[in-house]
Amino acid sequence: MNKTYGEGDTKVRALTDVSFSIKKGEFVLIVGSSGSGKSTLLNMIGLLDKPTSGQVLIDGTNTITLGDNQVSSFRNSKLGFIFQFSNLLTDLTVLENVLLPRNIQHSNQNVMTEAKNLLKAVGLESQMNKRANKISGGQAQRAAIARGLINNPAIVLADEPTGNLDSITAETIVQLMKSMAKKLNQTFIIVTHDRQQFGEVDRVITIRDGRAFEGEDLPHEMEIKV
Amino acid sequence: MDYRIQLATRMLANKRGSLLGAIMAVSIGILVIHVNFVIFQGLYDAIIRDLSGYRFGDVLVTNREDVITEKSDVFLVNWFERIPYVEAAAPRMSSSASINVTKSGKIIQDFQVPVVGVDPFQDTRVSTVHETVSEGQYVFSRNSIVVGSIVARDLGGVTVGDNLQLKIVNRHGEDAIKRFIVTGIARSPGGQGFDSDVVIHIDTLRDMLDRNKETGQILVKLNDPTKADEVKDLFLRSFPNDDFKAETIEESAEQTLSGFRSGIAMINMIGYFGMMSSAFAVVTIQIMLVSSKTREVGIMRAIGAKRKDILIIFLFQGMIIGMVGAGVGTAFGLSYTFYAKETKMSFQGSLPLQVSYDWSKITQTAIMAFGLAVIASIYPAFKATKLQPVEAMRSV
Repeated sequence: MNKTYGEGDTKVRALTDVSFSIKKGEFVLIVGSSGSGKSTLLNMIGLLDKPTSGQVLIDGTNTITLGDNQVSSFRNSKLGFIFQFSNLLTDLTVLENVLLPRNIQHSNQNVMTEAKNLLKAVGLESQMNKRANKISGGQAQRAAIARGLINNPAIVLADEPTGNLDSITAETIVQLMKSMAKKLNQTFIIVTHDRQQFGEVDRVITIRDGRAFEGEDLPHEMEIKV
Repeated sequence: MDYRIQLATRMLANKRGSLLGAIMAVSIGILVIHVNFVIFQGLYDAIIRDLSGYRFGDVLVTNREDVITEKSDVFLVNWFERIPYVEAAAPRMSSSASINVTKSGKIIQDFQVPVVGVDPFQDTRVSTVHETVSEGQYVFSRNSIVVGSIVARDLGGVTVGDNLQLKIVNRHGEDAIKRFIVTGIARSPGGQGFDSDVVIHIDTLRDMLDRNKETGQILVKLNDPTKADEVKDLFLRSFPNDDFKAETIEESAEQTLSGFRSGIAMINMIGYFGMMSSAFAVVTIQIMLVSSKTREVGIMRAIGAKRKDILIIFLFQGMIIGMVGAGVGTAFGLSYTFYAKETKMSFQGSLPLQVSYDWSKITQTAIMAFGLAVIASIYPAFKATKLQPVEAMRSV
């Protein structure tokens, strides 16, 4: 896929000829320096933005052809999001935030137990009835992980999930995501600028100047398109 | 509970200032309409009440020549009082006279005043004009006279017990002169009563005019004023060959009321424009609410909420504002109406307002305010649906 912003003299190529595939259950890091295009790439995979050209295929569906409502439903059912600033709704409690993706589906299925189990798994059982703005940043990020997993999505996308946390809390969040990925056999695609924090992962894709390379610490001349 | 309703309610509840502002805007719009209604409709109804009570009754019967000669007043009063809707009927006669009085040896004299002849017994059953006699008492004998407060003032301050002389030109063109003792001074709030008239016994007036057995008008008071048209039509149908004229109070007072009605319509328009201004206030507040919730909208869109879900959330907020605003505004309005009714509100000693609860108008105003609040939310809600998730989530 390609993504450009602006026109004429102000045209900026954010992503150039990016092409790769990810297998189910893989824990993938997308790394790169600030402004390299890694968040733009995550937005394309998360269907929050559309590529200027190319395709995003998820579970065999060409998402580019989907209409606005279909994209919304697809995001809701197939994708889970974890953002840098947790992005919980402060008008709701922690539990209500976790239930929100399921409520958006207007599902009649009672998922209260599921949501409580997820909150228990991320260590927030005692905080579930607190307003989302009454918990710490680390707790909010853990709640966001639970919210990202509630619909059992095909892919969990995380954009700098530890970027706003201190190192100890960040380490806890990384371990939590890894354990959840393993436990639920969930695909995780994580954008980060701090490669070291994640230790051993299944795969690393490096974005440099809008281009994607397999692996990390590549010499400049070695461009491997995946 | 549907999550959209839950979220809309919570978002509003957590923005108490905006919620209060929007509710106040809606309720003040309603209150303005209620206040307008109490004052102007109250004044209109008070004028009808007083004109009916003092001068016209609920139905007024005359004839084309302004003197009823075909039937006696006793016959007509009895005819009307047989109808179940009729509470009472009474004859009256009108003329004009020149009046003079001697005060401190000086004669203050000869200006024209309207003279009303009443049957003191029957008139008090039909009319409330006797209640306006603030000093002394109503006409009780053939040589007693009640003087309107304005006439009394113009005569140099006539008081109860003074002697007056009336000079009337009778049907033959001759002067009929008679002296009277002032038994009362009539003063009505708002001046719709006999403040500018003098009142004497109807038989005395008949004698002076040499119109024995004749009557000027028959005033009819009804148990249920809404039956006025029915009674009027029945009367006219019953005497098709006579030259009678019968009018309901609205018809009798048309000249006085027509201008007033236009005024009320204009004031109502101003009230509804006030409500439109409230709707603009709701639009502004809702835009502020949407703007403050941009990040939340982005998050919801990112996790799968559709445009219509966002639309519903903000429209529902408009419904909450409309519902609470209409409730609060109606409560304020009803409290004001209750206060005005219980205190018999009047302005600077003028006639007390005739306050009533017009439930259809109250409901209509509340529904209109609710509808306007919802309509006012459409644009901000639509604007919210146009937010793109990525940009919206960047909002702080």
